[in-house]
Amino acid sequence: MIKIKNYSWILIFLLSFAAYAQSSEFAQEEEFVSNFADQAIEILSDEGISENDKTSRFTNVVMNAIDLNLISKFVLSKTWKNSTDEQKERYLIAFKDYFINSYANKLDQYSGEQVQIVGSEAAGKYVIVESNIVREGTDTLKINLKWRLINRDGDIKIIDLNIEGISLVIAQREEFQSFLANNDNDIDKLIDKIITVSN
Amino acid sequence: MKYRILIVLFLSSVLVLQGCASKEATVNYNNSETEIVSVNDPLEKVNRVVFQFNIIFDKLILRPIAVTYRAIVPEFVRNRVTYSLNNLGMPITAVNNVLQGELRKAGVSTSRFIINSTVGILGFFDPAASMGLVSENEDFGQTLSVWGVESGPYLVLPFLGPSTPRDFAGMLSTSLLDPMYQVGGGSAPDSLRTYRMGTGAVDFRSQNIEILDDLQNNSIDYYAAVRSFYSQGRESQASNNLEINTQDQENDIFDDFDIDESYVGPDIEIIYD
Repeated sequence: MIKIKNYSWILIFLLSFAAYAQSSEFAQEEEFVSNFADQAIEILSDEGISENDKTSRFTNVVMNAIDLNLISKFVLSKTWKNSTDEQKERYLIAFKDYFINSYANKLDQYSGEQVQIVGSEAAGKYVIVESNIVREGTDTLKINLKWRLINRDGDIKIIDLNIEGISLVIAQREEFQSFLANNDNDIDKLIDKIITVSN
Repeated sequence: MKYRILIVLFLSSVLVLQGCASKEATVNYNNSETEIVSVNDPLEKVNRVVFQFNIIFDKLILRPIAVTYRAIVPEFVRNRVTYSLNNLGMPITAVNNVLQGELRKAGVSTSRFIINSTVGILGFFDPAASMGLVSENEDFGQTLSVWGVESGPYLVLPFLGPSTPRDFAGMLSTSLLDPMYQVGGGSAPDSLRTYRMGTGAVDFRSQNIEILDDLQNNSIDYYAAVRSFYSQGRESQASNNLEINTQDQENDIFDDFDIDESYVGPDIEIIYD
């Protein structure tokens, strides 16, 4: 036990240096996430606007920041390629409504959390920017967020958000795949279900 | 004695499950060659039934308690409870750090427990963190994964929720290994255990009321969503301790998806009414 404790004091030293060793490889991408978070938080913490206004302004910011088209195709996986143009169009419209509906009317739940950028790294074709959300009223209860970004010649878009190791886009994809597997791989059934849930 | 029965029950169930897994897992979900398929759920039919049962239990009991708890207890107190639960988890984390060969982490966890239990007033505050002592909770399921035990198929347990044979084994062994359960005797450890189990469930549930409500209401397939959340979460926790990185797997999934720009679809307009 005594040995272990001695170890820990050495570690305190190491840790205090490690905390400052994070570098910012992708300054452009980090700035993008930081700007996005600032814009979103500004809208969320604005007490003076109506619920509908809030949602519509928030949607504007989100839609400008994400590549919804790419996300829509990704979550549908190979079913996308096997669909007719008509089905693709119906699906894209339905998914967009579903996506907006997933956060609409819930924006008043925001309670002062702040986003801190921690660092960034390359991830295949993409860049991941890591950040923390600090729980209101504490300084150590943190939620880890990783933003997956695509950079097309300076045009940066978010394509995934990973919360504490859970990728929302992959979760959505697994959900759609499971629904399709239980419904004869029929995309029309999926579209109908998406529309029902969004209404 | 009662543990022995549980362990026997468990071992036999593992053997049975692995038999099923090897037969069925290869048949399911192999409808694509290129995709990385991570879903291992040969018992989906049974799991879905238990899952429905758990939803009802949650609706009738756990969620109402969590809602009441959050309504009555001020945020400051709730944060203290979260901290004290984290603190009570430190001894078992330290044991698992040692079992995983992470002596330095074990030192951190032990120091955290000692500092926060004293200076941090029974763990209600976290002065250790401001001293740079930060550690993640480790359970025996994660230790088993470090030891190379495969998670096995996805399981939904009555009352306890999502699990796998590995994590279930870890949970049972955790009660045997936890110093908090071994120290002393009589009612003090018992009440601590009850506090951790009961309050832990309520604490977790109260932090996730909106998230779980939303997930349930907005899901295309709630069962699959929870399964994905659980599997992804456990994998990323396990990978903290392993050479393999789940982020690499995640990157592969995204990279394998070739960006098909040939059909852009309808003009997605940003209109919200």
